[in-house]
Amino acid sequence: MQDELREIVRKLLADGAIEYFIGYCQGSEPHRVFPCFVTEESEVEKLVLGPLCLQNLSKYVLQARDLGGKVGVLVKGCDTRAVVELIKQHQLERDKVVVVGVPCQGQVDPRKLEQALGVPLERVTGVEDAGDEFTVTVDGKARKVGKEQVLRDKCFFCKHPMSFEYDYTLGDVVPFIIDAEKSEYAAVEALEELPVEERRAFWRKQFERCIRCNACREACYGCYCTECLFDRKVPRWLDRPPLPEENEIYHLIRAVHLAGRCIDCGECERVCPVRIPLSRLYKKVQKDIAELFGYEAGMELDTVPPLVNFDLDDQDPFM
Amino acid sequence: MDRKKISKTDLSRWLDRIAETCDLIGPVKEEEVVQFRPVRSSAELTLDYANSLLPPKSLFFPPVEELFSYQKRGEEIKLEQTKPLEKDRVVVGIRKCDVESLSLLDRVFLEDLEDVSYKDRRDRTALIALACPTPPRSSCFCTSFGIDPLSPEGSDILLTDVGKDYLVDVATEKGRELVALADDLFTKLTDKKAKELQPPPVDMPELDLSELREKLEGLWEDDYWEKLSLPCLGCGICTYVCPTCHCFDIADVGSTSDGVRYRCWDSCMYKDFALMTSGVNPRPTKRERVRNRYFHKFSTFPSRYGTNYACVGCARCLVHCPGGVEITTVMEDILAKEGASDG
Repeated sequence: MQDELREIVRKLLADGAIEYFIGYCQGSEPHRVFPCFVTEESEVEKLVLGPLCLQNLSKYVLQARDLGGKVGVLVKGCDTRAVVELIKQHQLERDKVVVVGVPCQGQVDPRKLEQALGVPLERVTGVEDAGDEFTVTVDGKARKVGKEQVLRDKCFFCKHPMSFEYDYTLGDVVPFIIDAEKSEYAAVEALEELPVEERRAFWRKQFERCIRCNACREACYGCYCTECLFDRKVPRWLDRPPLPEENEIYHLIRAVHLAGRCIDCGECERVCPVRIPLSRLYKKVQKDIAELFGYEAGMELDTVPPLVNFDLDDQDPFM
Repeated sequence: MDRKKISKTDLSRWLDRIAETCDLIGPVKEEEVVQFRPVRSSAELTLDYANSLLPPKSLFFPPVEELFSYQKRGEEIKLEQTKPLEKDRVVVGIRKCDVESLSLLDRVFLEDLEDVSYKDRRDRTALIALACPTPPRSSCFCTSFGIDPLSPEGSDILLTDVGKDYLVDVATEKGRELVALADDLFTKLTDKKAKELQPPPVDMPELDLSELREKLEGLWEDDYWEKLSLPCLGCGICTYVCPTCHCFDIADVGSTSDGVRYRCWDSCMYKDFALMTSGVNPRPTKRERVRNRYFHKFSTFPSRYGTNYACVGCARCLVHCPGGVEITTVMEDILAKEGASDG
């Protein structure tokens, strides 16, 4: 599959069909796999695929809009939802991007992997998919790790192991079945059951840690405003110092702004250096949108997002 | 320098004794994140750790700090300066890279104009450093900057884990006073005995950086920065986790009649960082912002303050960058460039 990808990219570059290709390559250590931007044919050998290809690369398509030409981007099934939403939200023209879809059998959560192995990740030199488990090379020796132990949370409820909006596809996927034992909203429901004071206390404790590095915003495919309201000087909507109450406002505003647009890619939580469980916040927003409007963002190109639409049958339980 | 040892159980007793009179601060693991925090008892500390997420610079130059509060009643204006510290502090568990970073921050906050709150915090804080484990994390590269992770330099006391005990190097008068709080818990070591316990020097891959600055300075207009900036998301993680970054913003929070003036961290990676009132932004794109970061670490800061570098090789930016921009790779790329152009 990796060879196939390199061949596609080589051809796209040779034909001058794209300015550059956005894929993944290995960082300075094998456990770190990062986005990379391939501009030359000679660089295609750097491209890699595998369960550590975590980042949703769709975000990077936005910065290429002014290039004039097209860019190519590698998307997993889940990331396809971002491409679909960007098109629906008129941020991207479909013919400005060459989408290469890659089948995915689940991504590894590096923090869970470290915990499952009991050794620092730097001793991991390889992670490969092996059906119901991953083959992890630690200190040169292969170890089997069950997928249920180390998959990213979102992968347990994967709806799209295969990309569904693409120009090229790297083949089909054999779906793997993981017994998630609970619903995708279980963590949200557990919080919803708490009395409101306890729920507030839970989130306050989380937001207190926030250093307002803005990584959650910058990693989010949906945060593409030319000037974010948090950065506006006049009027100041949010005070600059990362005080707990300001942090709370920051996260709640972001959550509401992503309502109906959040595609559950989990990037916000993944990049958070202080490990705020942001997916749980965004899962709540997804749940509300699903319950109120029966809508899931990024699933198809031809439905209208509920919050840009007016329908007399819309629910208004808060009125 | 006095060399002693203390058993691990006695270390806890000693730290608890320190905590009776001083604010004891050290690495604490909460929600899988290790951070420097005040503790009531040594039992809360995590001394078996690689390094903290946020550097302990936050103890001297906090992410957010109240400078003063103001009150206006009619024509009367009342200003009240905020006292930085209530009690003397002892920081335990700080790594050598972070100790070294404080000497760089000292240049910024203590040379020329003295920053009162920074100075107060520095003067009233003792540092009990913790030597790095062998082998160190694979991402660490402090030795490339000539830093010895096992050296007590810059700290008051250095602890080195040698199994059941810690080897204790008492480097300063402040350190001796802390040891004197519980002298009975320490065993004095002869030079010979101390040398036997001393672990061998840390073996870390080292980069030869002798040509780094010159090569970098020739690359101002190079296309390299454009490509390097592509994966950068423009968040502030690299600067916030950096022990030597020190840019800040000043903000008044409150109304015209009551409020507080804060100082908080700022990041040169933010697009409005260099934005001027006129609307002009000298660093309008990520290309200029990313370039600025590396120039500042390896050229601008060193020429301004007469240091060799402004990076201490802690690898936090490398580990936490969500876009995968690795400072070691950047240094290697710069060193691999053929000679300096006229740029």
